[in-house]
Amino acid sequence: MRSLPETIAGWVHDGFSLLGQIRITSRPGGSFELRHREDVAVHGLEEFHGPSAARDLSFFDEARNYRPLKTAPNLRRGWSLIVETPEDLRLALDHFYPAMTALWRSQLEASLSSVPLRDTLDRQTGMYAASKRLQDEEGLQLVASACNSKTGCMKRMLWPFTKTVELTGFSRLERSADVLTLDSGEKEIPLLCHEACNILVAACRETVKKRERAAAATV
Amino acid sequence: MVFKPESALILVGHGSTVNPDSSAPTLDHAEELIRRKVFGEVHCAFWKEEPSLRQVLHMLDKDDVYIVPNFISEGYFTRTVIPRELNLDGPLTSLNGRTLKYCDPVGNHDRMTELLSKRASEVSQGVPLKQSSLLIVGHGTNLNDNSAFAAKREVEKLRELDMFGEVFNVYMEEPPLVSEWADFTKFPNVIVVPFFIADGLHSYQDIPVLLGIEEDTGLAASQRDVFRKNPYRLRDRTLFYASAIGTEPSFVDVIIDQVAAFDSVAR
Repeated sequence: MRSLPETIAGWVHDGFSLLGQIRITSRPGGSFELRHREDVAVHGLEEFHGPSAARDLSFFDEARNYRPLKTAPNLRRGWSLIVETPEDLRLALDHFYPAMTALWRSQLEASLSSVPLRDTLDRQTGMYAASKRLQDEEGLQLVASACNSKTGCMKRMLWPFTKTVELTGFSRLERSADVLTLDSGEKEIPLLCHEACNILVAACRETVKKRERAAAATV
Repeated sequence: MVFKPESALILVGHGSTVNPDSSAPTLDHAEELIRRKVFGEVHCAFWKEEPSLRQVLHMLDKDDVYIVPNFISEGYFTRTVIPRELNLDGPLTSLNGRTLKYCDPVGNHDRMTELLSKRASEVSQGVPLKQSSLLIVGHGTNLNDNSAFAAKREVEKLRELDMFGEVFNVYMEEPPLVSEWADFTKFPNVIVVPFFIADGLHSYQDIPVLLGIEEDTGLAASQRDVFRKNPYRLRDRTLFYASAIGTEPSFVDVIIDQVAAFDSVAR
């Protein structure tokens, strides 16, 4: 069985050159170049080497603000990163988009199970236990805003709100693992979300707390 | 010597959605472990960053997997959150054809005492240690009561070393308070070492303010230079403030030791 680094290299060879805001190019000799997909025709980019550079490039936006959510659509531009091996390519991509290539592999192997948001919230303990009290209506509104692909997160949500209630406000593509092929023929590895992240769980908690504080203030 | 090319290591950190330095030691130690090629593969996973504990198992190629919590003590995260999120049912879990081996957190290791004394010696710029008060800062809340216990254990062991004039525990949220350091220390030099994994919110933003050596600027470690300004002269003392113990590069050896310790116990 091929390792994940070998699998990723195979995808790139097969035309899967886009992942989130990154464009991957195979180079002669087996190395790879990564850059922001909007910098595809830009010359004179600052050049970096090795997967460790991906850590700094992915951690801060253009204004040096911290990016706790790596799949937010605010990856900085102006750089080019060379990695020599498939293993280094995996490491670099896991800095830019943690676990995303692995989840796509699991999706292709039919071993990625999505978890309804309600189930994720119901197993929380400690400070996040309050998120269990999220109401359906406020939860659906929150997800539509927080997980918006233009301003929030580029991942495609494979999970429903509950086993019987679907999310609202998203296109079919935003809720699927379908491969997007551009006019250029380039294919995009989808960024998949099989379960709500801690950032959303924290936002659910805050929504509950805010409502409960407001209710307490009016008593 | 540990050499496990057919095994994977998952190093679990807390992470933060507001502080970019919280995950730094975990990522640093993972990079060093990859460089040393001790394991066939090395991954990080975080509670509040990605890859998350719900994602990381998908990243594995190997079936033999060691999980080491990069946490300062046993407690809520190591006993409740990590096992729940990774579907662990004890030290040894079989899951989807994999063997998951759940090791002790790094902070439990015997070498913590040595690393704390080493860090205190290094940061104090050659002042006589016998003329110094050493303060080990812990968190100290109910949720993290085991971290307070671990910090007390280390202070007891540091006292037994008899290297420093005196050694105390201090806490952020319960007595003896960090902010009252000058009231109970008697030596001209005061060395403060945070018993934390990262230079995150607490050791970089909260504790310096409580000590009185910094204004609250709200900036993260990577955007300030608290540690480069040592020593601080205030309240008629010379104060040295160290970065969090978890930033010590020797933690890499401790991580490897925790894997070896797991293997040494028959299960």
